[in-house]
Amino acid sequence: MSIIAEITLIAVVVSVACSLPGVFLVLRGTTMVSDAITHTVLLGIVLAFFITQDLNSPFLIIGATFMGVFTVWVIEALQRTKLLGDDAAIGIVFPLFFSVAIILITRYTGDIHLDQDTVLMGELAFAPFRRLTFFGVDIGARAFITMVIILLINAGFIALFYKELKVTTFDAAFAAAVGFSPILIYYGLMTLVSLTAVGAYDSVGSILVVGFMVGPGLTAYLLTNELKKMIGVTVLIAVINSIVGVRLAFILDSSIAGMIAVITGIVCFLAFTFSPTKGLIRNLLNRRKRQKKFDEKVKNVY
Amino acid sequence: MKKILGLIILLGIIALTGCANTNKTDSLTFDKEEPINVVATTTMITDLVNNIGGEHVQVTGLMGPGVDPHTYKPAASDVYTLDKADMIVYNGLHLEVQFIEMFEQFSKRGIPTTVIAEGIPENQYLKVGGEGSSEFDPHIWFSVENWINASRHVTDELKRYDPDHAAEYEENAQAYIKQLVNLSEYIKDRIKEVPEESRYLVTAHDAFQYFGREFNFEVVGLQGVNTQTEAGTGDISGLAEFMVNQKIRAVFVESSVSSRNIEALIEAVNSRGQTLENAGELYSDALGDKEQDADTYIKMYKANIDTIVDALK
Repeated sequence: MSIIAEITLIAVVVSVACSLPGVFLVLRGTTMVSDAITHTVLLGIVLAFFITQDLNSPFLIIGATFMGVFTVWVIEALQRTKLLGDDAAIGIVFPLFFSVAIILITRYTGDIHLDQDTVLMGELAFAPFRRLTFFGVDIGARAFITMVIILLINAGFIALFYKELKVTTFDAAFAAAVGFSPILIYYGLMTLVSLTAVGAYDSVGSILVVGFMVGPGLTAYLLTNELKKMIGVTVLIAVINSIVGVRLAFILDSSIAGMIAVITGIVCFLAFTFSPTKGLIRNLLNRRKRQKKFDEKVKNVY
Repeated sequence: MKKILGLIILLGIIALTGCANTNKTDSLTFDKEEPINVVATTTMITDLVNNIGGEHVQVTGLMGPGVDPHTYKPAASDVYTLDKADMIVYNGLHLEVQFIEMFEQFSKRGIPTTVIAEGIPENQYLKVGGEGSSEFDPHIWFSVENWINASRHVTDELKRYDPDHAAEYEENAQAYIKQLVNLSEYIKDRIKEVPEESRYLVTAHDAFQYFGREFNFEVVGLQGVNTQTEAGTGDISGLAEFMVNQKIRAVFVESSVSSRNIEALIEAVNSRGQTLENAGELYSDALGDKEQDADTYIKMYKANIDTIVDALK
């Protein structure tokens, strides 16, 4: 397989894996949780480093994952209190954890090269070169294998708890009334978000984690009105964005991750402008039509 | 429905990669096609390998002039470069953190991988932030002595993997090491122009410790080794205090690091009633380009020394 094909494939798998839980982040209006996770993992890395004192320890990635889960749980718990807005909860937790990590680094490890990139070395361009071997046999790029597993977990979770997710997302009060445990479903989903974010961060880097989780879901949200369709369109958009982004990056010789993120942004903006149901243009036309009707009514009155 | 479809596609993808993963060639020696494709990380190493490999190697540097290795991001063409690599040369000591794991894998797959730092005796490494620290300072190229050792190391590695041209590599190495010895003389001569009590080098991040040790300069960095953590306000006011006490009148910015903190330092010192000037740009983590006439290691070092000496003498 050519190297471009392999990078494309990895990008596709990562983007689909991220975009699936991303659908629910978009619907719940907590998309920036993904951004929060890519920052707060640093605290997990720093704490794990204090324990292991080894920059190459696998516990650093485990620490990162735990901190990701912890972050989403704390955000979730704050949101449940209903004392502050959903985005405000993210706004409190993410800077707090991130700055604690920065302070710990400058205070105690100022002389050591410690940051997220030292531990989570995700870079899409390098992903095909980081192989996973099993008993000496090369079984594929590590990013690919990890993200396929995460993708399967995500798809499985959504397939199994589809009804529960749907009800809790759109009507949490009703869900609680009929006996679902929205809390459990939420925490399950958020744990997956965290696991996916750390896995994707280690595979393709931080820009894409946010781009992949938010972009396709948001695009699909602008184009559809039904959850099932939205998931389908999300997956489709994620695949298209990755393929086009990788191609274009090679044509223009630019950062691959950067190019995919740009394409994701452009596609989302196109949907925002031209969506036949919720787009900007549609909106303007509707408003004009209403205005005209109103004017005519006014004319008729006089 | 959609999910079932998705799963089928997925399984297809898995099957596809399963068959497609052919192993790379596992040979330890090069195919005899000339020239050898060497991939180097920093501009300093690219220059070094070019000097020793001569016409028998085609060196591609991943990082361009003025790029900070700590924050380097690959372009799409770097993927091809790495895919075609016959040999890899990198600095080591955690300078290229984002590459190390990948390079170790290259090495395991039989692509010769040379670590510059391994050519330098371990007792020559400086610790980051003084003794007691566990981390080594990766800016080894600022000791000319180290760079001579590095040249020998690269020569040995090239000879080992390409014995057919061993004599030519040796010849190139001899000539290059002579130039490095001359460079060292030049540096010592120029430094004599600076009175001993003014031999302070204050810069944005701690890249010049090896230079300081080899040529008896007191080196003070504002930011520490890692260009990604910001200098704290304490760092700046502490350093400003120090500079007023020592009557240091010149600071330097670095080509690959933002000069913002140095500007803050200049303001802090000026507010304490001493004039401090920004004495110019030093090359630290990367060489300059052709127009700046600092596109080789030797030219870069001379440019740095001229900037330093002219400001402090």
